[in-house]
Amino acid sequence: MSSELVGKDLVWRVQLGPMEVAFNPLTLATSLGLALVLGVVALWFRRGIPKDPEAAPSRRLVLLSAFLEFVDGQILGAMEKGIKRALLPFVATLFLFVWVSNLAPLLPIPGLVAPTRDLNVTLGLALLVYALSHVYGIRAKGVLRHGKSYLEPFPVMLPMNLVGDFGRTLSHAFRLFGNILGGAIMLAVIFPVLVDLVSRFRWVLGGLLLLLGLGVLGGLARRGRRKACYAFGAAWLGIAVLFVLQVWSPLVWVAPLAFVVGTGAGVVLNFFFGIFAGTIQALVFTLLAAAYIQMAAE
Amino acid sequence: MQVTGAEFVQALKYLAAGICMGIGAIGPALGEGRIGASALESMARQPEMANTLLRNMIIADAIAETTGIYSLIVAIMILFVV
Repeated sequence: MSSELVGKDLVWRVQLGPMEVAFNPLTLATSLGLALVLGVVALWFRRGIPKDPEAAPSRRLVLLSAFLEFVDGQILGAMEKGIKRALLPFVATLFLFVWVSNLAPLLPIPGLVAPTRDLNVTLGLALLVYALSHVYGIRAKGVLRHGKSYLEPFPVMLPMNLVGDFGRTLSHAFRLFGNILGGAIMLAVIFPVLVDLVSRFRWVLGGLLLLLGLGVLGGLARRGRRKACYAFGAAWLGIAVLFVLQVWSPLVWVAPLAFVVGTGAGVVLNFFFGIFAGTIQALVFTLLAAAYIQMAAE
Repeated sequence: MQVTGAEFVQALKYLAAGICMGIGAIGPALGEGRIGASALESMARQPEMANTLLRNMIIADAIAETTGIYSLIVAIMILFVV
């Protein structure tokens, strides 16, 4: 076994018989860890279901049924009853795993990256969905009729259907991977640019900030709120001192300014690229998975 | 200043990645705009269908987005892999 750095990722290479297999240990560890956490949470939810079906529903049961109702209504939607019942556990699990994976980098653990940022994970999930679409297709229609669906609308279309399958699975994997990786790259790129901008425009930014403070101070004084005036004035003076001290060393002013701007931007950007995009992409991935399987089973 | 061959290639890579992403984003943007506009129109006309429409809109968005994602992958490959 050997390990090396490819780009910024650590890669382990293992010799398995005639084959050399490469692992990304970080991705492997995070995805297995997340799966373990999800499993434990699922067991905990299982224990929260009352044994007696007539008993009053517990909190965990209500949460669980709300989640399953969401998957049933929003993701499986207008499918027919039989396939809905067969697909619900798989689709709910897929959604949970992809969602938690997309949101994982929000946790303040150094080195933790979204497993879905790795093409190997998303391609694995897409291939799983592809294999399952054949399983459900064969189960619903039998081997012959399922195979015959590749000759429709006419036998000449066989290569087109095969290429369509290939491209569909590939784009299914690449869509999730590209979105998550793109978001991560945007987050990594924006912060250095932001710090650079803050240090470049530190005079303008500080001047605007202090003018704004003066305005607020004037407003407070006019309303005769004396105590608020003193507190705000003291804060304003502190900021003004830092602003003037940058003549001595720019860092005195740039560091707190970058901290404030960076924190604000971090909240906004992590919300957009982390929570919003992560949830939407998890939803899209599962929606498409359900749609592909349903198409094969029809 | 003498520009070496390697630097020239590097500069062209940055340029190529930028052009690839920029042109590749035009199509999905137009497509998703159309999808969103029509979905909103239909939702305003038939609010009781909003849930179904939203789901189908997200699927259609994801499919329209595919070429944009391809160009992102190509841009990343130009920058970091080639």
